Amino acid sequence: MNLSRTARFVITSFVVALAVAAGWFAWLTYTNNPWTRDGRVRADVIEIAPDVSGEVAQVLVKDNQAVRKGDILFTIDPTRYRFALAQAEAALSGREEEREQRRRELERRARLSSAAITAEAREQAETAVATAEAAYNEASAALNTARLNLDRAGVRSPVNGYVTNLLVNPGDYATAGRASLAVVDSDSFYVAGYFEETKIRNIREGDPVTIQLMGYPDELRGHVESVARAIVDRETVQGTADLIANVNPTFNWVRLAQRIPVRIGLDVVPETVRLTAGMTATVVVRDGERPRP
Amino acid sequence: MIKEIDLFGVFVPPLLAYAAAAFAVWYVLREGLSAVGIYRFVWHAALFNTALYGLILSVIVIAIFR
Repeated sequence: MNLSRTARFVITSFVVALAVAAGWFAWLTYTNNPWTRDGRVRADVIEIAPDVSGEVAQVLVKDNQAVRKGDILFTIDPTRYRFALAQAEAALSGREEEREQRRRELERRARLSSAAITAEAREQAETAVATAEAAYNEASAALNTARLNLDRAGVRSPVNGYVTNLLVNPGDYATAGRASLAVVDSDSFYVAGYFEETKIRNIREGDPVTIQLMGYPDELRGHVESVARAIVDRETVQGTADLIANVNPTFNWVRLAQRIPVRIGLDVVPETVRLTAGMTATVVVRDGERPRP
Repeated sequence: MIKEIDLFGVFVPPLLAYAAAAFAVWYVLREGLSAVGIYRFVWHAALFNTALYGLILSVIVIAIFR
């Protein structure tokens, strides 16, 4: 075979050129394709704080137990609030008697002729009834508050979910407003995909998504719910003296793409998968007929 | 297809798997081509082989991500 040197050169160069072009295209596809290995399963965690203070009497749940909305999680010692309720009831009945007394007085005075009673005395009787009525209403409101406080001594779960990291024990002192127990809302699981900014361009709300958890072979399905609109600018330091910008000096050759969280709603979760907030996921956004890089 | 590779507990990007697959294809193809005698029409065999491997890997990546 007497193939010229030129022909051999041309054939090889053609294959090399083809490889370079294909490699460039493959690299663009690989880097711009909206997928990431940095996905996290997330869920809303409700920090449950008692509405009233007191010693914890009973803890009715175990760690990691499933709870339903309205279930009592733990109870505050209700004795004090029972006494407060009794006090409020007593105050109410006292005010009621007072009001009835003033009413009877007004009735009697109304029956007297104007020769026997001054207009002022009659007016005073009317005012006394109105005042007693207001005092009665006040006591009634106080009674409702006392009832509410007693009711709130049983701390309820506001969501369906799971108790997590249970650290409250009977005998602990629970302060009103200070969180003492966390419940993971089981209806709120979602996946946060941290996509490099080079890939964000190809992500649209509503795009179908497949999610692969690190620990499960099953594939989850979802859709893009939204894309975050702000991340911290790491080049500047906030809150510096004299209100002037403090920008880090740079000696950058390699620049790293920022990553932007994309919220992915879950549509299909296989029965076998037990989601835990914090799990690692590989997230692949499947796109429709959008223009490609 | 786009999934992390578990390499004895170390999770690596899927590109490594594509590279391994490309190597297998390339190895078989090279044996085939040399049996046919294609290498007589080739200038630098090493350059040709490298380009061939790059081409196969690129085609695999494009096929999977498209």
